[in-house]
This record gives sequence, C-alpha cells and structure tokens, in this order.
Amino acid sequence: MDKLMETTLSILAGSELTLEIFFVTLFLSLPLGFVEALLRLSDFKPVSRLTEIYIWVMRGSPLMLQLLFVYFALPLVGIMLDPMPSALIAFTLNYAAYFAEIFRAGIQSIERGQYEAARTLGMTYMQTMRRIILPQMIHRVLPPVSNETINLVKDTSLIYILAMNDLLRVARTIVQRDFDMTAFFIAGAFYLFMTAILTWGFKRLEEHFGKYDE
Amino acid sequence: MENMTNDCKDNEIMLRVKNIKKRFGELEVLKGISFDVRKGDVLAVIGPSGSGKSTTLRCLNCLETIDSGAIEIKGEELARDEGGVAVYAEGSKLRAILGHMGMVFQQFNLFPHMTVIQNLLEAPMQVKKMKREEIMPIAEELLKKVGLFDKRDVYPSRLSGGQQQRVAIARALAMNPDIMLFDEPTSALDPELTGEVLRTMRELAHEHMTMVVVTHEMAFAREVANHVMFMADGMIVEEGEPQKLFTNPSEERTKAFLHNMLR
Repeated sequence: MDKLMETTLSILAGSELTLEIFFVTLFLSLPLGFVEALLRLSDFKPVSRLTEIYIWVMRGSPLMLQLLFVYFALPLVGIMLDPMPSALIAFTLNYAAYFAEIFRAGIQSIERGQYEAARTLGMTYMQTMRRIILPQMIHRVLPPVSNETINLVKDTSLIYILAMNDLLRVARTIVQRDFDMTAFFIAGAFYLFMTAILTWGFKRLEEHFGKYDE
Repeated sequence: MENMTNDCKDNEIMLRVKNIKKRFGELEVLKGISFDVRKGDVLAVIGPSGSGKSTTLRCLNCLETIDSGAIEIKGEELARDEGGVAVYAEGSKLRAILGHMGMVFQQFNLFPHMTVIQNLLEAPMQVKKMKREEIMPIAEELLKKVGLFDKRDVYPSRLSGGQQQRVAIARALAMNPDIMLFDEPTSALDPELTGEVLRTMRELAHEHMTMVVVTHEMAFAREVANHVMFMADGMIVEEGEPQKLFTNPSEERTKAFLHNMLR
C-alpha cells in the first residue's frame, strides 16, 4: 500500500510540470491564435499570406520536431534556452496556429448580415467585432477549441524529449525500475481525470454562451 | 421621434440621388439612377429581381459603393461626382451622414446573442454613448409601438419571422433616424406574417417618417407610398404617383410587370 502511495505521489509531482505547460500554453496561445486569425483575414495580402505560411509550417510539421528545433537548433544562432521556456515557446507557437484556424472559421461563419446590421447602426469595426462577432464566434468555436485543449493535455507528454520529468516520464521511470505496470494505470487515471474536468468545463461554457440558441 | 410630428408638407429634400452608376465586373447593375425623396415621402421601389432596386437602396447607406454619380442626404454630400468618379465623404462626416438613415433587412439580422431589449439598446449605448436609463424608456416605448413589449427579455430565436422583423424596425428606430430604408422587409416571411410587418410600416408612414421601401408587396406600394418607382435592368423605367402608375402605366415594361404581379 505504501508503494502505491509513493508511486501516486511521484506521479502527482510529475503532473505539476504537465499542468504548468498546459496552463501557460493555453493562456498564451489562445490570444495569440486570435490575433493570427485576424491577420490571416486581413485584406492586406502580404500579411494574410505570411500568416498562412506560418500556420502551414506550424501545423504541417511534428510538434516533437518543433520542440527539438527550439531546444537544439536555436543555440546555433546564439539563442540558448532552458528546457521549460523552450517547451513553452514550441507549444505556444504550435497551438496558436491551430487556434488561429479555428477562430478564422468561427469569424467567417458569422453571417454577413450581422456586419451589415452593425454597420447601418453606426458601429465601428472594433465595436462590431467586440460586441457582435466575438460573442457569437466563441459559442461556435467552443467544441473545436475543447478538442484542441484536450489534445494539449496529452501532448504535454512530448516534453520528455527535453528530459523534463512530466507525469508520463515519471510513470515510465517507475515502471522500468520496478517492472510493475501499476504506474501506467495511475498515469492514465491522471490524464482521464484532467480531461474529465476539461470536458465538464467546456460543457458549462457551451451552456453559458449558447443560452440564446434555445 | 420628435421630428415625426413636424409638418409633412415641409418640402425639404431628404435624399437626392443624381445619376448613380455601378458595375459588378462586366455587368452594369445601375445605369444612371436619379431621384429625390422629400421629407415625409414614402417611396416604393418595385421591379423584377435583378433590376437593381436592392442595389440602389444599399448604395444609399454605403453597403455598396457607387462608381459615379452623387448622393446627398439632407443636403450633405455622401458622395459627389468628380469627373465621372464618385468621391465619398470620410471619417466622422461619413458617419454623421449615415447616421441619418436606419435600415431594415430582408433577413432581419437581429443580434441573436442579445435579447430583444438589448438589441434596441446596443447601438444607442455603443454609438451614441447614451446612458442606459436615457435610452431605456425610448426603447420600451418603441417595443410597445411595434406590439412586442411582452417579448422584451426574449432572445430572437424564440420569435416568429414577423416578430423579428418588427423588432428590427424598432432597433433601427432606436437610433432616431430621419430616413428609414427597407430592403424587401416581407420577402423572407410566411404570407400570414407579412400583415403585421406591413401594419407597423404603415403606422410609421402615418407618422410622416421618410421611407424608401424596396418591395414586392404591390398592395402596400399602392396604398401607403406617395411615389412609386418601377425599375428594370438597372434603370428607372417609370415613376409617379401610385394611382397613376398602377392603374394607367405608360410603359409596356411596367404593364407587363404589373400584369404578372397582380394576376
């Protein structure tokens, strides 16, 4: 029993790192993704084109490769970063690209008539975005954002490649040391617990933002 | 709404359109349209689809831009013609001019995430920076006027099309416009729901609101409008008093259209 407790506590300690990556990435990549979506929708072609290329690179190459690139390749140009900031940069840039496409689709799904109505009422672009488009967009993008967020919980396990002791790496170390699979089950339970909370949270958000939908 | 009770025989020109032209690529959709609308006028614009009547209306409040010609709203130049090219007013001047007009759309375009009353409060509070307690009595009065006061805290998705359109009219009126533009306001409605919207518009006309109405409702055009304009192929084919135009049109094109519509 002591052994089980010890294993759980070790994994709990590892989950701290997992949660840190998770929350910081989410906190940074959501707003960044929104800005990217607006740039992508810009009428100024070079801006939207560059953003498109950026999104293609970020979505088109493995997150693992991006992690390795930030940590091992950037020092070649004189940028030397610790594992944690490296991981946060790679995760944020990667997830922002996915969020950007989700937000872009959300913004574009709002009927033209909404912009026209706001315009004929004298509202500015900023007012229209903030008061009319965004609240409706948030409701529509919640399901795909929820998907990405749950993915992020699990993707955090990739940081083992930078020798960081996240939840899963801790579990694997214990399994290899003790030849006992229990740690894997505990790790699985941890992930399921986190995603359960997220699922519940997003459900509440959808209810909140969807109350006008009947 | 103070100005509604003013003398409607006041001949002030509210809207002057001079030879406006517009093309979408190869297609010339407006081939030189000119007309005036005076204070208290109700102008009905009729014609087959694709005739340019909705485009004309949308050009009046800048939802579409014209290529050449001029538009004046209450004597102010929204667009002027400089050597065959339309030059628009800019910035705060443009905003002020557009503020004279309210618009009602075929598809209502209410803000679905806001309740009925919030739909009415939004623009006065955001654009005119009015305080909630200033605009609230006006908004509630408007809802009573369109007969939807009991729906004030309901979301638009709970309303019928006819109710939504009446809210949309109230929302436009909440900005206290001098001219109301209607773009086929009953075309998206089930036939049994058009009556309530037309009734609201008729009341508005009786209060001497200046109105431009693009419509397929011939009976409405005939009874409520004091001027009717028949458009086809981007041109005004014929215009005049409804009595004359509906009973004794002079153009063949008008006769054919009315014959089809009134059959």
